[in-house]
Amino acid sequence: MVQEITLNEIIEIIRLTLFVSGLSTLIAFFLALPAAFFLYFNQFPGRKIIIALINTGMGLPPVVVGLIVALFLWRNGPLGGLKLMYTPLAMIIAQIILAWPIIAGLSLAAFQQVDPELLFQAKALGASKKQLVLTLAREARLGEISGIIAAFGAVISEVGAVLMVGGNIKGQTRVLTTAILQETRLGNFHLAVILALILLTISLTINLLLTTWQQKGQKPWRYQSWK
Amino acid sequence: MAISELEIRNLIHYYQGKRILNIPFFNVNRGECLVILGPNGAGKSTLLRIASLLEKPCQGEILFQGIKVTTRNELAFRRRMVYLLDKFLFFRGKVKDNLLYGLKIRGVSQKEQLKRLEQMSELFALQPFLESYPHELSAGEQQKVNLARALIIEPDLLFLDEPFSNLEPKFKEEIMVEFSATRKKRSQTTIIVTHNREEAFYLATRLAILIDGEIKQTGKTEEILDFPSCLEVASFIGQETLVEGVVVGQENGMLKVFVANNYIYAFGSAKVGEPVRVIFRPEEVILSTEKPSTSIRNWFWGQVVEIKTLDKVIVISLDCGFLLKAYLTKPAVEELKIERGKKFWAGVKASSLSALTLRDGELKNRAN
Repeated sequence: MVQEITLNEIIEIIRLTLFVSGLSTLIAFFLALPAAFFLYFNQFPGRKIIIALINTGMGLPPVVVGLIVALFLWRNGPLGGLKLMYTPLAMIIAQIILAWPIIAGLSLAAFQQVDPELLFQAKALGASKKQLVLTLAREARLGEISGIIAAFGAVISEVGAVLMVGGNIKGQTRVLTTAILQETRLGNFHLAVILALILLTISLTINLLLTTWQQKGQKPWRYQSWK
Repeated sequence: MAISELEIRNLIHYYQGKRILNIPFFNVNRGECLVILGPNGAGKSTLLRIASLLEKPCQGEILFQGIKVTTRNELAFRRRMVYLLDKFLFFRGKVKDNLLYGLKIRGVSQKEQLKRLEQMSELFALQPFLESYPHELSAGEQQKVNLARALIIEPDLLFLDEPFSNLEPKFKEEIMVEFSATRKKRSQTTIIVTHNREEAFYLATRLAILIDGEIKQTGKTEEILDFPSCLEVASFIGQETLVEGVVVGQENGMLKVFVANNYIYAFGSAKVGEPVRVIFRPEEVILSTEKPSTSIRNWFWGQVVEIKTLDKVIVISLDCGFLLKAYLTKPAVEELKIERGKKFWAGVKASSLSALTLRDGELKNRAN
């Protein structure tokens, strides 16, 4: 049986996909940067373990994250009273957990690539602690944007977590990946391919924008070799 | 009485359990160029970082313009100073952005920023580079940008850590001369740390000798050279003779400098008519009873006025119209029968002499 899907429904799916993945990447960015700053500026026992955990978190399986969030939000779970299960908010929470370690890990690595003496020079030119942090953020811009790109790419393409905590409810929590899954299962390959193309186009467009921002003012390699 | 911009009292600083600084008193006067000279590892950079409020001393207090520095006023005071590291480290962005960094973080108005940018780029001839990236510039140009981004802030105190040590000799002289002239014109209070004696003698209006974390002597360059307070100071600073004269011509690629009825041949880039300072190193001066016909161009006839034993060498001071010091070994002194009052020929190779340009009233300043 071939089920029909209207244009309005497709637009709604795209809108929700962008909303959920965009917002979760953005929130994860603002939660990850302070953590990366903290890890950069402070030495304490257990710091290495935290960094190792973050690096591991960069490859968290979405289904595992979906499971953990589901356990919390489930009707009888500790946060069951909030009634968030199968809502876009639950999907955003799951995707923040997926995106956070990617941005935190890549940003921290980018900070550590900046010469500490350059920051010391910033201080010696009169920078306050806050301005030092801002200077560091600016110097490490390339790596931070790489983090955003990687995180957004990961969450917009994952299906496990959004399916588990969102439930793929038509008109409510259905996003592009879960829709593709659904249509493929139903044998609507034609529609599945169209949705897949839309997903890739969105991914490409957003990455193009982010990359343009990232590469701004970047000097080209301009040394001629013999060959 | 000069106004004290900065005063350090009872400073003791430890690093990894070792006492590296012990300075009961140290001050910087307004308008002076104080050079802290000392061997590597004497604690110079640490002292500079503490004085510029970038590092907190383990013990002791710091007074900025008479007010004690505390955690509360530290940032406000720190912002009236600038410290430049011993290497050029630039931020992302163009030369222009780097020059404006210090003003931006101080919240200086856009209009004032542009005014000072214009002023600075004119002073250091940086207009062609403003839109370039720092890494596209030569080391000499980078050091100019580095100095300009500090001076643009118009700090009450400027701290420089080995500012000219990493430059090629040909840039070094030019930039040093230019910086010194600018510093004087703006009466910029400056504290420079260096291990290079010639740099120190050229730049300093006052010299402080730091050895093993202690300030062994402070004073005018001539005072310290003529009357080193102890053997440590004497053997570290050497017994250089500084002579001032005027370039009168050029011969075989060397400058001919007129000094006290003598002509000195030395290397340098000064032009005819310009005042210069020539530095003689005592270990490069040889003595002879008669003027030999060797390739040495510089011979001076002078009378021995002092013979002093210093470590393993004997320091002979000759009056050749100017005071010239020579290091000799004991056998050489005996062989030449050197005594007070006797006259000798003193020779110095032109290749071991360099003449540095003096600018803008420096001669007068030094006469005071």
